[in-house]
Amino acid sequence: MGAPEHLPLPMVEAVRAIAQGPLADAADSIDRGQYPREILQHLGAAGAFSAHLGPRADHAAAIRAMAAVSAVCGATGFMVWCQQVCGFYLEQSGNPALTGEMLALHASGARPGGTGMSNPMKAYAGIEPLLLKAQRVDGGWCVNGTLPWVSNLGPDHYAGVLAGVEPPAGADNAEGAAPTEVMFVLRCDAPGVELRNCPSFSAMEGTHTWALRCTGLFVPDADVIAHPAKPLIARIRAGFILLQCGFGLGVVQGAIDAMWRVEPALGHVNCFLDDRPDALQAELDALWARVDALAATPFDSSTGYFINVLDARAHASELALRAAQSGLLHAGARGYLLSSDVQRRVRESHFVAIVSPAIKHLRKEMARLSAAEMPA
Amino acid sequence: MTSDADRAGAGQAPARDPLGESADGPVGRAADIWRQFICRVCGLIYDERLGDADSGLAAGTRFADIPDDWACPICGVGKADFEPHEPVAASRPAAAPAVASATRQPGIVVVGAGRAGWQVAQALRSQGCTAPITLVAACSGDVYDKPMLSVAVARALPPAGLVREPAAQAAARLGVRLLAHTHAVAIDAAARRLRTTRGTLRWQHLVLAQGAAPVLPPPFLPGQAWQINDLASYQHLRAQLDGGPRHLAIVGAGLVGCELANDLALAGHAITLLDMQPLPLAAALPPQAGQRLLAAWAGLPIQFIGGVRVAGLQRAAPAAAGARPAPWRLQLAATDGRAQAHAPAFADMVIVATGLRTPGRLATSAGLAYDTAAGGIVVDAATGATSQPGIHALGDCAVAGGQASRYIEPIARQAAAIAAHILGHAAPTDTTAPMPVLRVKTSALPITLQRRRPGTGAWHTEADGADLLQLHQHDSAGELLATLVARRPGGTDGTGSRPAD
Repeated sequence: MGAPEHLPLPMVEAVRAIAQGPLADAADSIDRGQYPREILQHLGAAGAFSAHLGPRADHAAAIRAMAAVSAVCGATGFMVWCQQVCGFYLEQSGNPALTGEMLALHASGARPGGTGMSNPMKAYAGIEPLLLKAQRVDGGWCVNGTLPWVSNLGPDHYAGVLAGVEPPAGADNAEGAAPTEVMFVLRCDAPGVELRNCPSFSAMEGTHTWALRCTGLFVPDADVIAHPAKPLIARIRAGFILLQCGFGLGVVQGAIDAMWRVEPALGHVNCFLDDRPDALQAELDALWARVDALAATPFDSSTGYFINVLDARAHASELALRAAQSGLLHAGARGYLLSSDVQRRVRESHFVAIVSPAIKHLRKEMARLSAAEMPA
Repeated sequence: MTSDADRAGAGQAPARDPLGESADGPVGRAADIWRQFICRVCGLIYDERLGDADSGLAAGTRFADIPDDWACPICGVGKADFEPHEPVAASRPAAAPAVASATRQPGIVVVGAGRAGWQVAQALRSQGCTAPITLVAACSGDVYDKPMLSVAVARALPPAGLVREPAAQAAARLGVRLLAHTHAVAIDAAARRLRTTRGTLRWQHLVLAQGAAPVLPPPFLPGQAWQINDLASYQHLRAQLDGGPRHLAIVGAGLVGCELANDLALAGHAITLLDMQPLPLAAALPPQAGQRLLAAWAGLPIQFIGGVRVAGLQRAAPAAAGARPAPWRLQLAATDGRAQAHAPAFADMVIVATGLRTPGRLATSAGLAYDTAAGGIVVDAATGATSQPGIHALGDCAVAGGQASRYIEPIARQAAAIAAHILGHAAPTDTTAPMPVLRVKTSALPITLQRRRPGTGAWHTEADGADLLQLHQHDSAGELLATLVARRPGGTDGTGSRPAD
């Protein structure tokens, strides 16, 4: 079926109906570690993973869909992002082996996929080294190394990842050629791939998050998304970060909705709190206006545009922290139960703020991009 | 030495109290009260205690004893343009806030800690403002004089010595919270918040003093050419130049390009100066001035190539491991459309000085009116107010009446007007902006253009001697529009008091 050509906002309403129905019922068990495979497939069938793909791509609609899910369950909302951004890699690869049936199945939610790009994004920002290494071999690449914390994985899943290219053994890099990277689809069932359990998280336990260990993994050329990878990364980096805003904005909306739910009973004391729901909603609406405007041009390559995207993402994190915290205070004692949605949302908001790119990384990158470049 | 040290100690702020002059008490005798005088044009402070060794004034030289032909070492105006200067004591809140929530009181946020930013803080405090002031500085915030950046090369002054007052000291003096190395990212005008790379600030009043950034014209790519518009870029350039004489290409022979060419040549570097116009300073001055400047440069290693633009650049040879990179080869094209090829120019380093422009992103985020042609934020000339309530702008980033002002001279007046507008005081009485005086501080031939009224007209030569060129511009009705004086330093009627350098 491929990417739908036209997705009106009814798609977002269909996604919202799933979120507020079966997802709301399952949110607590997802928080305790259950992977919502069936719900994700329903969301895919409703169009949540394909709005930003194809000739009529609508990034704002994709972000709205992710927000509608995240308002109810942050863990599932995060997996919507994983699935959306992995589809973005496949589409932008221009590799016919990836953009055909594979993308169609992926966009519909029939096949789940993840993303292991947080390490490369941090590496490009000079924050940490690349963790996967690839060597050219006949017909493909041989990959070694371990990526921590890749979400939405499973034995029959795959993920878009990136490895630094090492020169062939024995060859010295005398001509001073710039290092390259190769970005590819890592299939979890390939020989040489091991999914290792992660320690327990504060939230996100239902996201099937694993450490990915590659030992002599062979990646065929048919699975290569890009080599060299830098031009593709430069093209998708804004969209990658912009899509993530839906996750944070949804958590904010969920917190505001929870405050209004207790207003009839607790309004007489909640009116003494900071960050009341009407003020938070005004700030959220203004941020949505920024995000909608940015989503209209996801391939704008200017530095100014990218700084604006980074700042919108940072604002989403900051607002999620404040809103979730205030949501807990508004709920009072009942919000302190481990099974309470406002309690869970506080832990989800921490993930919004620390998942790559974290607030501190966003600010560091904005500072780097704001400074004038001088000759070396 | 001990008495000097004692005197320096006594010379701190309390002893500068003007009342101390008549007091013969323990504070010290009148002779120990050193006074300061500030240049009204550029803000240079002459401190009697320190003197000015560069212009031959020993420490302890009274202002009254300075020879009448002495000139401000930064901008070149005379003694009469100085006035007594009393450092403003910070009026900090007397006690800690009574309630915790008071720490969230939104005060005044100033973006930029160049001259304009500091001047606004100073003007607010001196007009009695006690609200919290936060200065958001992309740089360190250290106080320095931008015109000195060029002069310091010629005089081989150490870059660290350019800092007139460390940022922390200035912040403490004015009771200002300084966020150094912090970039303003976005303005929410409705919620009155400023988003920065170190968090979000609430404000009651926002003052934009962000300056302007050098324009990098094609074919140059970031990282290929130097652009000298602040202390940090200057210090980087100096670090590379201090290794010995280099061959430098300077693209753009306007004020900045000519001053840099003059001073870098004096420092021993070979200069190729390029401009699209046939003569230097052609955009601002009549051709006689440019010709005169070229003649004055005859003894300096400056080659001027006019009527060309840089069509392309590449290294003259590929990079070799460990070796210094090969020189740049600049491909030149004639601007008058002649087809014949120009010989390329070669240079170890390229400096681009083709103009300034205020980055519009921050203004756009606040919905501020922005003048694309003039390259700056639109402000009301009398108050500095922008198109959004609560937001003012001044200095290089502001445009009034379709005109950007990239000079130091109006900044103090703008800062005083903005402070008065914010505090609800009556506008300062001396807001009548004089026509700006254009000073080209090329030491081989300093040039001054004093404009008396706007308009265009023909230039007439009033004096054309060996040491002095004087031109007058009249309009068609014969009214005097402008006077231009170019005087060779050291000449019989020159004011060239700069030591031979």
